[in-house]
Amino acid sequence: MITVVEAPAFATIQDQGWPGLRGAGMPVSGAMDPWALAAANRMVGNPEAAAGIEWALTAGRLRVDRQATVAICGPGLEVRHAVEPGQELELPRPTGGRFLYLGVAGGFDVPATLGSRSTYLAAGLGHVIKTGDRFPIGTLRGAEPMTPAGRPDYGSRVVRVVEGPQRHLFSHGEWKKFLESEWKVSRASDRMGYRLEGGVALKAPAADLPSEATCVGAIQIPPDGYPIVLMADGPTVGGYPKLAVVITVDLPILSQRQPGEAVRLSAATIAEAQSALYSSRSTRTSAEPPEL
Amino acid sequence: MTGARVTPLGDRALTVTWEGSVAVAHPLVRAAAARLEVARLPFVQDLVPAYTTLSIFFDPLDHDYSAVSSRVLDLIQGLEPAARASGREVVIPVVYHGPDLTDVARQTGLREAEVVSRHSARIYEVYLVGFAPGWAYLGDLDPSLVLPRRAAPRQRVPAGSVAIAGGQTGVYPFAIPGGWHLIGRTDTVMFDAARQEPALLRVGDRVRFESRT
Repeated sequence: MITVVEAPAFATIQDQGWPGLRGAGMPVSGAMDPWALAAANRMVGNPEAAAGIEWALTAGRLRVDRQATVAICGPGLEVRHAVEPGQELELPRPTGGRFLYLGVAGGFDVPATLGSRSTYLAAGLGHVIKTGDRFPIGTLRGAEPMTPAGRPDYGSRVVRVVEGPQRHLFSHGEWKKFLESEWKVSRASDRMGYRLEGGVALKAPAADLPSEATCVGAIQIPPDGYPIVLMADGPTVGGYPKLAVVITVDLPILSQRQPGEAVRLSAATIAEAQSALYSSRSTRTSAEPPEL
Repeated sequence: MTGARVTPLGDRALTVTWEGSVAVAHPLVRAAAARLEVARLPFVQDLVPAYTTLSIFFDPLDHDYSAVSSRVLDLIQGLEPAARASGREVVIPVVYHGPDLTDVARQTGLREAEVVSRHSARIYEVYLVGFAPGWAYLGDLDPSLVLPRRAAPRQRVPAGSVAIAGGQTGVYPFAIPGGWHLIGRTDTVMFDAARQEPALLRVGDRVRFESRT
């Protein structure tokens, strides 16, 4: 059992979410930095898909009632501890980024709903962790604990994007403005979406689009011209034009940016996005060449 | 296949867009979604049919974009529009005492009873599920009931509120912010995570609202 002695300001249980329920309107949800949670799990020998604690803003403390191996992972921090029964474990305040992740060998044995243990507050699934909460440690068996690899370039301020489905509704000049602006992550940013500000407002097309699927990392341009990047809990559909989409390997770089921090967007092709993804994974597994 | 365009939606999804009005494109969307469901392609993680588009999500570690898009394009060759929404018919009982009913009557110049009878007379089609889990965009509304959204959205619309806006109607599955006009209330649960298929409605289903007192 893990007892929360002092809850961080915002902590939730997350895993890799619900990737197959967008058709029912359910966002993928799950970890904002899927790499860091997967890495924490790998460091304790769990499957990458195991649940862990995601926290933000402040420090916290936990106590375990039996011997356990835990790992804490995030930008600039990758540590593993053996914790003795009754010992308290500090969850440090995230300083190198916005979120940190705790994995415990065996996983968090909280009930799964529709195949995921993630917290999705809008649908009443899970809750914000509070002091006094107790979580059973599971019996997951994975492989040997491994050192994480394929780490995102957290120190980079450049996030790569591919052209979005409505790129053609924007002029070449607007696209250049989008890529040349120095954007800042706004304070109005949460698990649903990050607003970008500080650059030059883009001229949004007047076209009234019927709503269609969005995705995590989609960059919408609302009428005020300031981009909104949809994040883990973002809506599955929307009517704003999607000028670009953040590539999968660079999502953690963006999600770990604190409000006020600068980002630049740089254009990539789909082929570049996919080869970056293969090479980040191939350092962990012997990836088969893609085929149908 | 004519008038369809395929664009990447990031590096793990693509969107097929059909040209033309919703009336022309949506039956093709439904037909394409049905064909992809039957084909049970192992790389498909998720399908999101919408008004004029169908989005296909795939696992980018197993399959690359160009392979997926050419396979999808092959499959939707020679598509015939699905003649009629082929889904289930779902009846949703409604108590028409919503906080905006009087206002809707005033703005449309109809009597309240007339708003109710026109709203409950139609069989609506599910065009899109999304925005919130279980939220279904239903259309088309009787033209006499078409109003723009409320000028000031509410911070919290209660779950089960039956609402209209533009040419559409729908039921709020959870208490969320919203700018639609609330004309009634239902006990029908639109999203239940304990169900195998959590969303009550799917694209292609037909929905009728039945007035209860």
